[in-house]
Amino acid sequence: MITSTTPPAADPESALRPRRYGIAFAVAALVVLALIASSILNYVYLDTIPGRASLYGLLAVASITLGTYILVRAFNRDRATRRNHLIRAGVLIGLGVLLWLLVIDVFLYTQSAGPGVAAVCALACLPTTAFGLLVVRRMDRNHKEPWRLVLVAAAWGAIVATSLVVWAETVWEVSAQRALVPGPGLDTSLAFMAGTLEELAKGLAVVLLFLVMRSEFDDVVDGIVYGAAVGMGFNFMESVSYMTNLYSIFAPEHQGGIAAGVQWYNRQVLGLFFGHATYTAYIGAGVGIARQLPSLRQKVLAIVAGFVVAIAGHFSWDAWVNLFPIPNTLFGIVAIHLRTLVMTGPFAAGLIGLLIFGIRFEGQNLVEQMRKEAATGAGAILPDEVPVLASPWRRLRQRVQAFQRVGLPGYFKVSRLQTAQLDLAMERWHRERKEIDTPLEAEQRLRERVIQLRHWVPAS
Amino acid sequence: MSAATYDQLHTLYRTVLVFATVGAIILSVGLLQFVYFERPGQETGVKARIVGVYEYDPATKKTIGPDGSEFPRSDVFAAVIDWSSVPSQLAVDARWYDTFGSMRGEVGPGHSSDLSNYSVVPVQVPPNLQFVLPGRYTFVVERLDADGVPVEVLARRFVLVDR
Repeated sequence: MITSTTPPAADPESALRPRRYGIAFAVAALVVLALIASSILNYVYLDTIPGRASLYGLLAVASITLGTYILVRAFNRDRATRRNHLIRAGVLIGLGVLLWLLVIDVFLYTQSAGPGVAAVCALACLPTTAFGLLVVRRMDRNHKEPWRLVLVAAAWGAIVATSLVVWAETVWEVSAQRALVPGPGLDTSLAFMAGTLEELAKGLAVVLLFLVMRSEFDDVVDGIVYGAAVGMGFNFMESVSYMTNLYSIFAPEHQGGIAAGVQWYNRQVLGLFFGHATYTAYIGAGVGIARQLPSLRQKVLAIVAGFVVAIAGHFSWDAWVNLFPIPNTLFGIVAIHLRTLVMTGPFAAGLIGLLIFGIRFEGQNLVEQMRKEAATGAGAILPDEVPVLASPWRRLRQRVQAFQRVGLPGYFKVSRLQTAQLDLAMERWHRERKEIDTPLEAEQRLRERVIQLRHWVPAS
Repeated sequence: MSAATYDQLHTLYRTVLVFATVGAIILSVGLLQFVYFERPGQETGVKARIVGVYEYDPATKKTIGPDGSEFPRSDVFAAVIDWSSVPSQLAVDARWYDTFGSMRGEVGPGHSSDLSNYSVVPVQVPPNLQFVLPGRYTFVVERLDADGVPVEVLARRFVLVDR
C-alpha cells in the first residue's frame, strides 16, 4: 500500500491544494497538446528533417516530463515506496535522454556538424552552466532550494522549453519571412517572437513548480532562483545549438573553431547571468511575490508583471542589439562587453535590487519566527542558536567547527540540523501569514525532527 | 502579520508593477517600430516578375544553366528580374538577404525603367570568406516610399544553399 508522508489539509473546507493541482494538470495538458499540434503541423507543412525530428522528439519530451514529475513527487513519499518511484523516474528520464540524444544527433547530422562537435560544445558549456547554477542556488543565503528542484528547473529550460520554442518559432519565422518586408520590420517581428515564445515556454516551468511544489517555493527569492535556473538550462541548450551550427557553417573556411569559441564566450561567459537567466528570473520574481500575496487579483497581476518584464527585456536585446554595432578593431573587444552592460545591465540591476530586498525580507521574518520558536521552550531552537542561524557565515563556522572535531559526518549532521531548524522557521512564517495548507501536525513533525537530529549532533 | 511585513511585501509587489510598466513601454516602442517599417495599407497590387535564379559566373557576369532553388555553397548565383513588369513611376530596389538577415547583394534604388540594365542581381560572398554562407536566402523586389524606406514586397523568392 502506498502511503504519503504529507498529511491531508488541515482545513477540510480549503480546496486550495486540489485546485492548484488541477491548474497544474491543465497547464501540463496544454503543453503536451501544443507540442503534439506544432510538431504535426511542422511535419505536414514544412516537411523538413527538423520537422521529422520534432515529431520523433515528442516521445523523449513526454518521457522526461513524466519522469521528472515522478522524481519530484517521490521525495514526498515514505521511504518504503520512494525507492520504487525513484527507479521509475530514473528509467523514464534515462529513456528520454537517450531518445533526445538520438533526435539531436539526427538534427546535427543534417547540419553537417556531427555528434563529435556537438559533444565538445556540450562539454565546453557544462562547467560554466554548472558554475552558474551553483551561484544562483547560493543566492538564497537563508534557505537554499533543494538541488533536485534546481536541476529539474534547468532540465525543463534545456529540453522542454527549447522543444516548445523550436516548433513555434519555426512556424512564426517561416510565416513572417513569407509575409513581411525584410529589414527592421521583420527583425522586430522576430524579436517579438523570441521574447514572447521563449519566455512563455520557460515561464511555464516556474509556474508549474509554483503550483505543484508549493512547500519548496517560499517567496520572491525562491522564484528568482528557480527562474534563473530555467534560464540557464535554456541558455545551455541554445549555446550548444548555436556553437555547432556556426561551427558547421564556418568550418569550410577554417574558422569553425573561432566561430564556436566566440559564441561560447558570448553565451556562456558574458550571457551566463546577463541574458536568459535574468529574463526568466523576473518571471520567478513575479510568481514568488504572488506566492505570498493575499488576493487572487494581486497574485495574477504579479505573475503577469513578471512575464511582461521578462518578455520586454528579451525583446529589447533581440530588437535593438544592432543599434550597437561592434567595430572590427581592438575596441571591438571592449564594445562587446559594453553592449551587454548597457542593454542587459539595467534589467540585471533591477533584479538584483528585488533579490536583495527579498533576502532581507525573508531573513528578518525567519529571525522573528526563530525567536518565537525559542520562546516556546519546545527545544527545537534554543535562544543562543538564533543569532547563529540568522547568519550564513556563523552557520558555516559552526559546521566547520563540527568538521574539525569529528570530520565530515559531523559537518553534515550539523548542516542537516541547521536546515531542519530553518525549515521549521519557514513553516511557522507561512502558517502565521495563512499561506500554507498543511496541518499543524506537519509543523510538529518538523519540530520532532529537529529534536531528533539534535541528539545525533556532536556536543559543541 | 505585522504592518512592517505587510509593507515590505507590498513594496516588492509595487516594484514589480513599476518594472512591468517600463516593460510595457518598451514593448509599445517595439510595436511602433514594427508599424513604422510594416505600414498598413501600402499594398498597390503590383507584382514584379522574377524570371529565375541561376548559377552565376562573376568573371563573365552571366548566368549559367537552368532556374534553381538549391545551390551548393561553392556556387555563386544570381536572380534575374523582368523590370518591365514593374510600372516605371515606382521607386524600387532588389536585394538578397542571407540566413542571418544580412544583406548580400543589391540593385537600386531607382525607378524600374532606370534599372533595366541591372536585371541580373548576383549574391555576394561575405568579405574575407571564400564561399557564400549556407542556409536560406531571400530575394525580394521592394517598393520604396518617398523617404527611401521599403514598404512593399513586389516579388519574393527563396533559395537554399547547402552546407
